[in-house]
Amino acid sequence: MKSLDYIAPNSAEAAVALLSENGESACPLAGGTDLVVDLKHAPGDIELLVDVSRIDEFRGIEETEDGLRIGSMVTYGEIMSNPICLEKTPAIVDASHTIGAVQTRNLGTIGGNLVTCVPSADSAPALMVLDAEVTVAGLDGKRRMPIEDFFVGPRKTSLEPYELLVDIWIPKKNLGKPSDFYKFGLRKGQALALVNAAAAIDIKKGKIIDPRIALGAVAPTPIRALKAEALLANEKPTPELIVEASEIAVTECKPIDDFRASLKYRQQLVRTLTRRVLTRSVEIASNR
Amino acid sequence: MLIELRVNGELRSADVPPETTLLKMLREHLDLPGTKLGCDVGDCGTCTVIVDGVSVNSCLLLAGRAKGSEVTTIEGLANSNTLHPLQQKFEEYGALQCGFCGPGMLMSAKNLLDNNPTPTVYEVRDALAGNLCRCTGYTKIIEAVVDVSRDMKAESDA
Amino acid sequence: MVTRTTDIQTEEDQLIPSQESKAPSSQPLSVLGGNPVLYPLELPQSDTRTSTPAVGQRATRPDGRLHGLGQTQYIDDISFPHMLHAKILRSEYPHARIVNIDTSEAEKMPGVIATITGAEVPENTFGPTYQDQPVLAYPIARHLGDGVAAVAATTEQLATEALEKIKVEYEPLTPVFDPLEAIEDDSPKIHGESNIYTSKIIKKGDVEKALKDSPHVFHRQYKTQMVEHVPLEPQATIASWDGNGRVTIWSSLGRITLGREDISRTLAIPQSRIRLIGTIVGGNFGGKNEIRNEPIVALLSKKSRRPVKCVFTRDEEFTSSTIRHPFIMDYTTGVNDEGLILARKIRLVLDGGAYCSWTGTTIGKGSILAPGPYNIENVFVEAYAVYTNKTTTGAMRGFGAPQVCFAYESQMDEIAHKLGIDPLEIRLKNGFSENSLSPTSQTLQSVALKESLNQASDRFGWKEWKA
Repeated sequence: MKSLDYIAPNSAEAAVALLSENGESACPLAGGTDLVVDLKHAPGDIELLVDVSRIDEFRGIEETEDGLRIGSMVTYGEIMSNPICLEKTPAIVDASHTIGAVQTRNLGTIGGNLVTCVPSADSAPALMVLDAEVTVAGLDGKRRMPIEDFFVGPRKTSLEPYELLVDIWIPKKNLGKPSDFYKFGLRKGQALALVNAAAAIDIKKGKIIDPRIALGAVAPTPIRALKAEALLANEKPTPELIVEASEIAVTECKPIDDFRASLKYRQQLVRTLTRRVLTRSVEIASNR
Repeated sequence: MLIELRVNGELRSADVPPETTLLKMLREHLDLPGTKLGCDVGDCGTCTVIVDGVSVNSCLLLAGRAKGSEVTTIEGLANSNTLHPLQQKFEEYGALQCGFCGPGMLMSAKNLLDNNPTPTVYEVRDALAGNLCRCTGYTKIIEAVVDVSRDMKAESDA
Repeated sequence: MVTRTTDIQTEEDQLIPSQESKAPSSQPLSVLGGNPVLYPLELPQSDTRTSTPAVGQRATRPDGRLHGLGQTQYIDDISFPHMLHAKILRSEYPHARIVNIDTSEAEKMPGVIATITGAEVPENTFGPTYQDQPVLAYPIARHLGDGVAAVAATTEQLATEALEKIKVEYEPLTPVFDPLEAIEDDSPKIHGESNIYTSKIIKKGDVEKALKDSPHVFHRQYKTQMVEHVPLEPQATIASWDGNGRVTIWSSLGRITLGREDISRTLAIPQSRIRLIGTIVGGNFGGKNEIRNEPIVALLSKKSRRPVKCVFTRDEEFTSSTIRHPFIMDYTTGVNDEGLILARKIRLVLDGGAYCSWTGTTIGKGSILAPGPYNIENVFVEAYAVYTNKTTTGAMRGFGAPQVCFAYESQMDEIAHKLGIDPLEIRLKNGFSENSLSPTSQTLQSVALKESLNQASDRFGWKEWKA
């Protein structure tokens, strides 16, 4: 690796200041599972790494009156062993479990996954179906937005220059909402998603309430399958309806056709995965 | 930059360039070459070490971040008199052929058993998914880990 | 409880053949001068097919403990005082003439001790079959993995940075990547006048007539891809050229005696001045069966008068070591109504990449095994190995056998399906048995094909699944 400077500030303000003072030559470092690899192969103009992983306000998982707060620098490993997440957001635990392998999950952070913003980001669909919001901090203080507004395009977020992702919030009403996540990659470990999918629903008086379906690796950013959701809302959850919703989800995707999988294969995966996550969510909801 | 950390219980320090990974620091600055460099991009797991109780790819972790940490490497697995039960079983089962994946594989297995002393076979496979072995086909490795956990259970039951 | 193999050989007669047993060959084995061999070279003749003292027993590896302790010394774990680190610059083009290489800027960098280019290699060719590989490409680079220059510096990081300062002027040449294009007369030529550098023909019976007389003829083309060995230990070498003109090389090479010949050739010094130390290898699988960077590192050591180490990056392991040959396989097979194979005609095109390497072995084994383990009266196999501007293909587990197996077994399934025969049945019907003749008319012994198939299918419940 080429010569670099490394600094680990202990507050968001200090990190933002360091980034703005050093401009293009500085880069925030989270878990490093992507960035350190890039630095070894194509270091570009980066001269200073600002390690944000040890900033207290970026860390920790806690339940407050507003809901669940997950610090951006929480690792997947921490999510997987956190009792609150295990109990109330199992889809996020499942999604974290499908990323890389144990060692990379102990380094990689949920915030890093979101900021890298690849279409296949595994944490994204699970967060989207739970209506997650994100807080970002920059030179002008903090702002908060729905997670869907955070994704702009492949490797492009709505972060302004020198802004950092602080934390992720799951609204209180969605804690414990029946949900499921499923990823399909070429291998079970250490593989990118060909397609990933998440769903969350409530059932009241035998009818589906607030259905959510999110899909990854099927468009430039992770997406919600809004038409499929609309079909499900206020209906009785039947296998036929789920099949129909899965068909509609296919029409809402624009997957790529590449060496990992053909367009047709990815469409089939959307169909199957949507059906699975919906069926499982309905099962969980019905068993409560 | 000066990095102080505790490696295998011993306080160690080295003055390394800031871009140095923990792997490079261990191998080149602290004379602990047991941890291997295989792919240098976090795929193969030969560089696995345990930092503050969790296993990590030391090729992806900058030494600066490991400052003040407690690091366990393959050199710290056995004590001077006895092999670690995992080392014992790996030897008995012929779980290592060329041996290059061994240090990482053993550290991952240790990390698993530290956190989950009675894993299922699925859990063993899942825990070792980040460690590639090109020789054995994994069967004997998995058998060895399962056998260690069985022994541990028998001991605690006794 | 672990039992070492030596502990379980309790009966002496298991190691020494009985009086009645005969050596497999009719001629008695002898050493130079006609002395009789004093020890039995023959394997015990009793039941070796079904039982030996070792089968079913666990043997512990003598090196297993050190592996587990992390005490095994692979090359990258060895270092010497004042040792330098070498890095190799790879070609920018898959096919190009190197017009000029300027290493002066790199040499000016503090910490860079020596550089080398192909023009400085005493004899710039090597190879286990044909000596067509350069140590460092010069004047023609034939694939992107070809090294064109190398640097030895005080650290790996400096050596990598120095590579960027080397200026290479190329005259790009038209590359060819598809072996079927490369086989054509008007394709760009990679070495000499033809891209076909090795071929093999196997003939048995009259395949054309038999195909014409066959009630059913099946044809299909099968392709296999490149495969890299991915040994977990990348190729690594340390060389130390001493003041007496002797060079000691620590290498992860699997075949050191052969390697020493190639090193002697390329360095143009007698073998007596080369000490090649084969260390523990962190995975070979065929990818470390010939020299790779040894002469470069040796020459850098000679120039710098210091020990030099070179370890491949994972990327180099993919581009600059050898890989498995991709095969393009045309299979035409004639069968009767019962599924009995009457004739099989095969054409194999091996994508050889830029250099020959172990293609000779691969084409031979691939061709002989191409018709499959089946009794076929009429066989014709033609195989061609073709140069392309891609990574060199060489030895890899099986030397061509897995590729042809994919083709013939795929076709067996297709025939079975079309004729409505059980896939297991068609294999049992055609399969080799004791004393069957191979396509090259070798009488086969210890043939357990049908027993193996029956046992395997019983165990995984083939008949129950079908029912």
